[in-house]
Amino acid sequence: MIKPVDIILPKDLNDALAILSEKDAGIQIIAGGTDVVPGLAQESNRFKNARLLVDINKIKELKEITIENGVVSIGAGETFSNILDNPVIKAYFPLLAKACGTIGSVQIRNRATIAGNFVNNAPCADSVPVLLVYDASLIIESSGAKREILLGDFLSGPYKTQLKENEIVTRITIPVPAKQFAGDFYKLGRRRAVAISRITLALLLSIKESKIDEIRIASGAVTPIGTRFTELENSFTGKNIYEVTLKNLSADLGRNIIKVTGLRWSSEYKLPVVQQVLYQMLHNAVYGGGNDE
Amino acid sequence: MNKMINLKFKLNGKKVTIKTEPHIRLIDLLRDKFNLTGTKEGCGIGECGACTVLMNKKAVNSCLILAVQVSGSEIETIESLIEGGILNPLQKNFLLHGAVQCGFCTPGMILSSYALLRENPNPDEEEIKEAIAGNLCRCTGYKQIIESVKATAGELKKTKRLKK
Repeated sequence: MIKPVDIILPKDLNDALAILSEKDAGIQIIAGGTDVVPGLAQESNRFKNARLLVDINKIKELKEITIENGVVSIGAGETFSNILDNPVIKAYFPLLAKACGTIGSVQIRNRATIAGNFVNNAPCADSVPVLLVYDASLIIESSGAKREILLGDFLSGPYKTQLKENEIVTRITIPVPAKQFAGDFYKLGRRRAVAISRITLALLLSIKESKIDEIRIASGAVTPIGTRFTELENSFTGKNIYEVTLKNLSADLGRNIIKVTGLRWSSEYKLPVVQQVLYQMLHNAVYGGGNDE
Repeated sequence: MNKMINLKFKLNGKKVTIKTEPHIRLIDLLRDKFNLTGTKEGCGIGECGACTVLMNKKAVNSCLILAVQVSGSEIETIESLIEGGILNPLQKNFLLHGAVQCGFCTPGMILSSYALLRENPNPDEEEIKEAIAGNLCRCTGYKQIIESVKATAGELKKTKRLKK
């Protein structure tokens, strides 16, 4: 049972932003509800201050997936089902389609929204590593103001973001990559469906003349927040694609992660898994094959 | 006491209006206000799928939806599948193939499969598994359930019709 709580359904974005700017604390935005509703039902501490739910499901400005001038714009309130089925997403951001397909179950994906996945910055958000390697930005709006911020900057710390109380994430914008990337998304959970991720990795790799032309790597769940490994990427750019390069890169990623997290009870298992998985992903990206569970 | 609202939506093919508190969950609305007890509550947090219903023809967990969010939509529950006392082909096949043991997961399992077949009348085994991945069954081991969906798909090829 959920404790009585007021609910408002703003009819458009301006209406919603006005509510956010007028009201005091205690506002909880709700979209798909797959996180908020069970949280309220279980009286989770995360929602203990929620006095007013603002339901943004019916706001058209938060829907649709469009492409303009080489930038794809995904409505923050789009469901995972709609995103993973979208032809533009499938064509330009196959890793995002794949990651969306691993989230929850059909029932969850039919309701849960993409912005809802990362606005609380839980480390296990499956869309984050792929959005990071695609250099995604967010459009954030408040009454009379609009700003754009890189997702990597928005995610400021575990369960912390740059979102202010009067703001809503309205769109996710992703530049269509200018070159051909190989790559993959990997998720390890305790079972295949409806599982909280233990390890997620996203990789994009482009090769020119047997050298690493560009590489992008991001992790989730295994790091305190979704993380891009820019230094590691830079240090391997331009290197020849030898077996030993892929091995060193994989080993270095593991060391980088341990640097962030410190040694944990699970490190003995997760460290070699992360290294081996990245190695396989790199191998598949270079030589083809793989790209399945 | 919270404000009551007049909630309007389509339920199992009929337009309905009901006075309800906006914050109760869809599953409670269906079971307590409409007496549609075919929809079961298992985990209450969206992990087991026992409470699956169809919202605008898509499978959803009714424990994760608030009453007010249903406004203007179309909801179908397990009670809508039987027609004139005759079981839907999917229900019939669940019985024929032994896909029902304790039966608690069955309404959700059938509705997830039903949503799949309505969209994709000829699914392969992987697609069936994906469609019911959000529905837990602790009795059957899933084999019989998958067989029932396959058998129904096979019949659909001949009749080209599931219903609706």
